[in-house]
Amino acid sequence: MFFLQTPDNSFSVTNVLIFGTLGMFVMAITLVSVVVFHQRRVIRFNKQLQKMEEEKQQMLLKASINFQEEERQRIAADLHDDAGPLLATARLYLNENLIHQETAVQLQSIFSAKQIIDDSIQLIRNISHSLMPPTLKNFGLESAMKDLFEKINGSGVINASARFHDNRERLREDQELLVFRVLQELVTNIIKHSCAGFIHLTQNVQGNFSYFRIHHDGKGILQEEFEKLNYASGGLGLKNIESRIKVLNGSISFEIDSTQTYYKVTIEVPREPGK
Amino acid sequence: MFFYVLYCNLNEIVIYYTYQNHIDIDTILFALFTVIEFTFFCGYYYYAIQTRIIKIILPIILGIFVIFAFIDFFLINQMNNFDSFTAGLESIIIILLCIYYLVVQIKGSNSLFVYSSSNFWIIITFLIYLSGTFFLYIMTENMARSKSFQHQYVVINSVFNVLKNILLSIAMLMKSTPTNIQKPKVKGWEDDLHTLKLKK
Repeated sequence: MFFLQTPDNSFSVTNVLIFGTLGMFVMAITLVSVVVFHQRRVIRFNKQLQKMEEEKQQMLLKASINFQEEERQRIAADLHDDAGPLLATARLYLNENLIHQETAVQLQSIFSAKQIIDDSIQLIRNISHSLMPPTLKNFGLESAMKDLFEKINGSGVINASARFHDNRERLREDQELLVFRVLQELVTNIIKHSCAGFIHLTQNVQGNFSYFRIHHDGKGILQEEFEKLNYASGGLGLKNIESRIKVLNGSISFEIDSTQTYYKVTIEVPREPGK
Repeated sequence: MFFYVLYCNLNEIVIYYTYQNHIDIDTILFALFTVIEFTFFCGYYYYAIQTRIIKIILPIILGIFVIFAFIDFFLINQMNNFDSFTAGLESIIIILLCIYYLVVQIKGSNSLFVYSSSNFWIIITFLIYLSGTFFLYIMTENMARSKSFQHQYVVINSVFNVLKNILLSIAMLMKSTPTNIQKPKVKGWEDDLHTLKLKK
C-alpha cells in the first residue's frame, strides 16, 4: 500500500478506491445472484423430477387397478360363460321329471350330470390355479417355474429351462408369488414378442439378495426402452412388472450381453425368508 | 442481531461525536469495533454452519485474529492509526467464510429457496458490506489525513452501512431459518400419514 502514501497522486487513489469498491461490490452481488439463480434452477429441476415420479406412480397405480379389474372380469367371464352353462345343464339332467322316467334313462341322466359336474370341478380348479398355482404354494418357486417351462416345452416351439443355484431357503410366500408373476409376465412377453428359440432362467443368492436372470436369444428390449414403454399409455404388462418390483423393494434391469447375442433380464429381490 | 445493529449504529454516533469534539479515542473505537464485529460474525457462523470442520477451525481463526488485532493495534500502530491491516484481514476472512457458506448452499440438497432463510440474508449482508468497504478500510490508515479521502470515507461508509442495516432488517423480518418439516394439512391429524392418529 506504499504507493498510496504519496499525497500528489490523490486522483489515482480516488480511482483505486472507487473502482476497487465498485468492483468488489459487483463481484459480491454477482456471486449472490449466481447462487440464487443456480439454486432456483436446481429446485425447479428437482420439482420437475418429483412431478414426473408422481405421474409415474399414478400410472403404476392405474395399471395395477386396471389389472385387478381385468382379472376380475376374466374370472367373472369364466364363471359366467363356462361354469354357469355347465351347472345349468347338469340341473336340466336332474330336473323334477327324472323321477318319472325309466331307470335306464335315469341312470343315463345321472351319469351325464356327473360328467358335467366333474367338468365344472375341473374348470373351477383351473380358475383357482390361475389365481394361485398350487405348485408354487406347495413346492416353491423353483418347482412352479419348472412346471411352467415344462408346459412351454410341450408346445415344441421354444426350449425353456431353469436352474436354481441356491434355493435352500424359500422366500416369503407373498414374495414368491410376486416374483413368479413377474417371471411369468416376462416369459409371456418373450414368447409373444421376441421370436426366441430358447429361454433360460437362473437363480442365485448373494448376500441379502436373490437374483433371477432370464436369458433368451430373441429380440429383446434394453433398460432405456423399458423405461420408455413404461411411460407409454398403452400396455399393462410392463407396468405390472414395475409395480410388482416396487412392492418387492427390488430392481429390474434389461441388458444385452457383450457378444450382442443374448438379451438378459435381471431381477434383484431383497431376501426375506419365509417361515 | 438486533444488538449487533444497535452496537454498530451507536459506535458510528460515538465516533462522529468524538471526531467533532476532537476527542482522540476513535482509533480505539475502530479497533474495538473490528474485533467485536469479527467475534460476532464468528459466533453467528458457528451456529449457522453445522459442519465439523467449521466447529474446529472457527475458534482457532478467532483466537489468531484477536492476537493479531492486539499486536497490530498496540505494537505496530501503537494506538495511533486506523487498524487497516486488521480490518483488511477481517474482511478477507469473512468474505471467504461467506463464499464457503454459499458453496455449501449450492451443494446442499435443500428443497427450500436459499433466500427464504434468515441465515442467507445475514451472510450476504456481511459479504456485500465487507466487499464494499474492503478497499476503503485498507486505505484509511495511510489516507486518513487527506480531506478528499475523508469525504469519500463518509460517503462510502454511510452507503454500505445503510445497505447493511436494510439487509439485516430483512434478515430479522425472516424470523428464523425455516425447515423442510411441513405442518399437517388437516388440523388435528398427526404429521405421520402412516399412523393417521387423531390427536385427543
